[in-house]
Amino acid sequence: MLVLLGLVMVDVAVIGAGQTKYGNHQLGLKGMWAEAAENAFSSVDHNFEPRQVDEAFIGSVAFGGGQLGNTAALLTEHSGLDGIPVRRVENACASSGFALRDAWMAIKSGQADIVVAGGIEKMNDLSAERKRFWLGVSGDTEWERLAGLTFPGTYALMARRHFHEHDSSHDDLVNISVKNHMHGFENEHAHIRKQVSFEKAESGFMVADPLTLYDCCPTSDGASCVILAADHIVQQFTDDPIWIRSSGAASDRLALHDRPSVTQLLATQKASRDAYTGAGLTSNDIDLAEVHDCFTIAELMATEDLGFSEQGQGGVFAREGRGVRNEGSVCINPSGGLKSKGHPLGATGTGQAVEVFKQLRGTVEGSRQVRDAEIGLTHNVGGSGATCAVHIFGRERNE
Amino acid sequence: MLVAQELPAPFTFLGGSGMSEHSHWKGYLVVDNGDSLFIQSSYVHDDKIVYGPDSDPTTMAIAGIQFMHSKGHHILSINLSDSVDALTVYLATGVDSMAHNEDLKFEEIEWDLLSGEEATLVVAKSNAESYDFEAPQDVEIIDADFFNDIEEAWRLEQEVHHVSQGAYISKSQYLEGARARLSLASQNVDGSMIWPPRQLDADGLRIPPESHTLLPEAQVESWTKLSAAGAPSEFSLRAPILGGIQTLLVRFEQGPRGVFLVTDDIEYSPKIGDTVHFAVRRIYAQEGMIRYGLKAIPKR
Repeated sequence: MLVLLGLVMVDVAVIGAGQTKYGNHQLGLKGMWAEAAENAFSSVDHNFEPRQVDEAFIGSVAFGGGQLGNTAALLTEHSGLDGIPVRRVENACASSGFALRDAWMAIKSGQADIVVAGGIEKMNDLSAERKRFWLGVSGDTEWERLAGLTFPGTYALMARRHFHEHDSSHDDLVNISVKNHMHGFENEHAHIRKQVSFEKAESGFMVADPLTLYDCCPTSDGASCVILAADHIVQQFTDDPIWIRSSGAASDRLALHDRPSVTQLLATQKASRDAYTGAGLTSNDIDLAEVHDCFTIAELMATEDLGFSEQGQGGVFAREGRGVRNEGSVCINPSGGLKSKGHPLGATGTGQAVEVFKQLRGTVEGSRQVRDAEIGLTHNVGGSGATCAVHIFGRERNE
Repeated sequence: MLVAQELPAPFTFLGGSGMSEHSHWKGYLVVDNGDSLFIQSSYVHDDKIVYGPDSDPTTMAIAGIQFMHSKGHHILSINLSDSVDALTVYLATGVDSMAHNEDLKFEEIEWDLLSGEEATLVVAKSNAESYDFEAPQDVEIIDADFFNDIEEAWRLEQEVHHVSQGAYISKSQYLEGARARLSLASQNVDGSMIWPPRQLDADGLRIPPESHTLLPEAQVESWTKLSAAGAPSEFSLRAPILGGIQTLLVRFEQGPRGVFLVTDDIEYSPKIGDTVHFAVRRIYAQEGMIRYGLKAIPKR
């Protein structure tokens, strides 16, 4: 704890993190959440009990599972967290990225010492028709939806425009798809553990021209949970904390056509700027990044907006394999990303934090380990870019 | 081909006298007689003129009134037939009617919009005694299976108990933006046009209501075509029949961007930089109410 000009500056660490496998679960909401929470609780090195938790923030779009209101209370009830203040955080696909930020802020403010942040989504217990309803409700329903757009359509508009404005093409998106399937192949929590060839990914079924099936993430069931603690009590639980060095977040206009650019996500740019400033770091310092690749074009744009490549050079970045684990300048989506690991909407943000926590502690499956990983970043986007949360994690605290 | 059809009296067809001007207008065929207009669908099925896949008397009435406006006629109010949605006509064109405004008096209304038994309409002065129209020649026979499937899909979609599994746009939500959606009404703030309309500015002040309309032409900045399986569920009954749905991201000359479906009755391979114009067409139906909006047509 740093006291500066009378202000108490609390540092926040992740002391435990766990998740379910992503995919098509037989478990319901309660079972999935209990499994993620159990995995997170058991990952704390010592002395942790759920009753020590002061507060919880749980992200969910409330897609399936049949419990829309008071979801969070139901989940804490079934994970030994009865009685604590809890709420559902909803920011579309960035729900648990913002739950993580809220949890971080609760500790930073001095109001809580131990906070749970998590997320959950049950997407595969609905009919195809009802599923498409939920997949559409986070976009701009009044204008985009009535123009026939779903998220594949919105991102397809971005992709085609990016190809027009910059040195990029669908081949670059295929490279991203191939990389993420390769990264996720050995991830025991991944939804799709299957390597794909360039030729196969190139010739996928057209979903929204120019995006094919291999450009789109799957709809997954899953839950994820991280446990945060204030610096003055971290040592009670672990000798190997992973520090949240900063949190940045921003919003943008909901509809793509209302934004100044359709090939940049300004919310990502602002959130990452704030995060880099908060951590005293630049994009060059990041060893690995879990970025929001709901569609391959989203990863391409994220590499630009997060500063890993120059604006307009995301295609070149992908083409040259600069995001490949232990080969490129920064490992992009070591988990396989949303494309391979899966995308249970509300669980994705804290699921990214679970991966970074394990990578920085060196506890992922051996072949997946990013070498000498000291600093990781998570990038969680809501919808087509209306909300974004970026977090930077490190083995060391901020200086 | 001279199309035999039932016209509302007192209008009659002539054959090939050359006294009327034929043209295409917003996907329809129009015959301009100066002070009156005959407008019809381009499609024929079973020897009858029928509406295209996203057209109906309301969309064609709007097109007809807009044509007359484009020719300098000042139509302020009009008598509409029951088959035309008066509110949509008013929002799209600004032309009032007794069906929309109870305060209007019949004798004050100078224009009539008369529906034929087939997909034909006439816009004319109320005091017109008779006008002659030369029939448009270039109608197209619509594929029978396609026509029947689309008709059936719309019938199912319009049933009151049919609740779309798509995003729920309530009636009030739809109507809040309907004027901007149907007429490109936009806000003007210090010369900058804002469309679709917004509420408060960064000073917390209310942005003035729509006072201008965007020029109804725009350039394509991007486009996509969603497969039938990937189309939003609002369109799930019709998308498979149409072979998917096509959306354009366009920029208007005055600055704003927008996204628009392409009309359902054209084959179009868009290119970035293309110029498009717009026509009011059906978008989808929910709980018995048809939602109308502008759709794009390539300018050829």
